[in-house]
This record gives sequence, C-alpha cells and structure tokens, in this order.
Amino acid sequence: MLNELSKNIEQLLKEQGLQGDVSDLVPLTNGASNETWKFNYIMSPSSIKMILKKGPDTPPGGLALSKSKEATIQSAVFNAKGPVPEVLAISSETSNLKNAYVMELIEGESIPRKILRDDVFKDIRNSLAFQCGQAMAKIHQVSLKSLDWLKQKDVNEELEELYLTYKNFNNPSPVFEYAFKWLKDRDFGDSQKTLVHGDFRLGNLIFDTNGLQSVVDWELSHIGNPLQDLGWICVNSWRFGHHKKVVGGFGDINDLINGYSSIIDKQLNSNIIRNWQVLGTLRWGVICLIQTFGHLLTTTNSVERAAIGRRVSETELDLVDLLFLKGK
Amino acid sequence: MIFDRPTLIELIDSIRIFLIEDIKNELPNHLAFKIQIAINVLNIIKRELNDGEELSSEIQDMIKLLIKDKDMNSIKDLAELIQNGQLDLSDKNLQEVLIKLSKNKVSVDNPNYSTYKKLIK
Repeated sequence: MLNELSKNIEQLLKEQGLQGDVSDLVPLTNGASNETWKFNYIMSPSSIKMILKKGPDTPPGGLALSKSKEATIQSAVFNAKGPVPEVLAISSETSNLKNAYVMELIEGESIPRKILRDDVFKDIRNSLAFQCGQAMAKIHQVSLKSLDWLKQKDVNEELEELYLTYKNFNNPSPVFEYAFKWLKDRDFGDSQKTLVHGDFRLGNLIFDTNGLQSVVDWELSHIGNPLQDLGWICVNSWRFGHHKKVVGGFGDINDLINGYSSIIDKQLNSNIIRNWQVLGTLRWGVICLIQTFGHLLTTTNSVERAAIGRRVSETELDLVDLLFLKGK
Repeated sequence: MIFDRPTLIELIDSIRIFLIEDIKNELPNHLAFKIQIAINVLNIIKRELNDGEELSSEIQDMIKLLIKDKDMNSIKDLAELIQNGQLDLSDKNLQEVLIKLSKNKVSVDNPNYSTYKKLIK
C-alpha cells in the first residue's frame, strides 16, 4: 500500500515537472477526517521535504472544502506573502490520489501540548498572541479577486447553517437551543467581508523558536466576518487545559488585538470578539456532531469520530460557563 | 444480575489495562494515539455504567420541577420548549438546569476537562 501511495505521489509531482522519487514516507498524527503524510522527495542531486494531505475520496460535504479548493486558497495566501507553506501540486478527482494535494514541509512544531509546555518555547510564548493577531490580519488582507467562487457567509447565514446542521442529526441539546436563541440578538460587528481561515488555533499553527512560521489546514475557510477568526482562537477547546490564557492557552486578548491592529489600523472591541467566541464554541460543538454522525451514519468505523461525540458536552459546559457564570 | 464475575466494570478494566500495559508502548506514534482514544472511550463507558442512572434521574427531576408537567422530563422536551420560546431565557431556574445538565454530562464524558474542574471547585 505504501508503495502504491509513493507511486501515485511521484506521478502527481511529475505532472508538475518535478521528476523524482519518494522516500521516508510516514504518516503523521492526524485529525479525525484527514490523512497527513510526510516524505522526502529526491530529485538528484537535491531533495525537498514535503507533506501530502489527503481527504476522503469523496469529500464528505458538510462544512469542509475539498482538498483542491483548500489548496487553491492556500496558494492565494502564499502569493499574497501570507504565512503558509507553498503548494506544490494539486490532485484532481480523476487522478489516483483523488482528493489530495502536496505542499512543502515547514519545519517546526504544531502539537499544542508541546508548544504550551516545552521549555524551548518558554521565551517566545508571551509573544505568540501578538504574532497570531498579525498573521490573522495578513490573511484578512488577501485579495478576494481570485477567490470569488468561495462560499460567502454573513453571521446570520453562519448561524442558520449551524442550526440546520445541528437539527439534521436529531440529537436534541437544550444548551445548544438556548445558545442559538442567545446569539440571535448579539452584536458581531459590521466589518467588511474578508477571507476567513475558519480554524485558526493551535494544532493548525506551526511554530519554531523564532515564533509563528505557518498557518495550515484551510478546509474551513470561507469569506465572512474577519472577527470570527479572533473569537475562534479564544474558544476554550483550543486552550488544551491552560484555560486562564484566553488566546489559545498562551496569550491575552489585548496582545491578540494589538498584533492585529499593528497590521490593520482598526479599533477592535473585545466584547464583540467574545460574542464570536460564544458562536465559535457552539460551532465547534456542531462540528463535533458532524464528525460523530460521519461515523454513525456510514460504514467506515472510526474510534476517533465515535469519541468526539462525547466532546459535545464539553462545548455545552463552556457555553453555560460563558453565558451564565462569567466564564472567559 | 445473573452473570458471573468479572462484572461489566471489571471486564472493561481488564481490556483497558491490557491496552495500556501491553499494547500502547509497542505501537508507532500515530497508532499509540488511536489506542489512547480507545482507552479514553473505555473510561467513559466505565463512568457511565457506574454513575449514568443517577446523573440522568437527577436532571429529569430538575426538568420536571421546572416545567411543572409530569409527562415532560426529557432532554428532548426541554430542548423543544426552549426552541419554541415557551421558557423565559432569563429564568435562573432554567439556567441552573442547563448548568447542572452540562456538569453531569462532562462528569462522565471527561471529568478532566478544564472548565469542569474549574466549576466544581
């Protein structure tokens, strides 16, 4: 099987004019729906380290984009000098690899617990929230000209999509019903629509000891309110136990805002970002449901996807904490 | 129960400890990660078998008191009443039910979760 995968990767890269051999192909720890492989591509006399990202052969729909669309957005951000790895080849649905693409490997660390705990990151941890704010701002500045095919969502459409998705699974949640009602009357800011990463958080960020190097995993990106990204990184699920540090488990909201404002000259309101955090918490809960029912309603068994169903309650607890108990 | 020992809990423990002690360390990282998820799932099953009934009936009683209708005490009933606007969202009793419901669920699903640990202090 490894051999076949190597051959398919070689064929895809060859079509891009990159003739070579795949070696050291290894799977990386990956999410519940995607495979990520690391390999060395030997083009004598040199070689390049690369990453293959592969989704299910038939994209599952739901909120996630196909890999070819994801790669196209990543390329647009790269061309705008945003902090992303360069895309090297995009597979088509008719080719052997189907729903996949290849990009350069960015050296660094993406495992949240290491970034939050390891001593090598101790000195830079305080500056990461500022850097994340800067990176978000750069993403939000990307021209939409080449991305006009991308789904546009204002906050009401976002909420409606989430509500219909939640309802579809017939898994009633009093807390979700309450949160949807609560969110209806909130202020989400009237920013002009921009490219939104949609999943900007630890796990999708690559750091080295100089700081943030790359933002990966663009499958939830869309065009919408840029403040969604700022609220999302504050969702408690992405603090990995370090709950006192609101931004990603490592930083404070003011540092995130200051980093953002250093690139885009704009006043940001932390109360509005908090409303996006509430929406983000609910959104993560609904994404957990999507993953779970992907397991329950198809023939493919996945223990990760089964387990994620029991993380919905974490988002419910975070919602009641935010709405009734002055949670941060 | 008519069944011999091991009890359900003891059976789960035997699998759980087997996975931790004999299997997990033998595997490459990406599979060890999956085994850890399987171990977490066994822990959920164990906690639900132990406490699930009590945690559920506690919530059903609270819902009955809140709604004041003896035929309505399920999560589904409560969700529908909120959806249909039949409950006052500012009602502290409603909020208390939602808080307790969420705590009870997480106490089975993941009692190590940061917000849970913070709120039960």
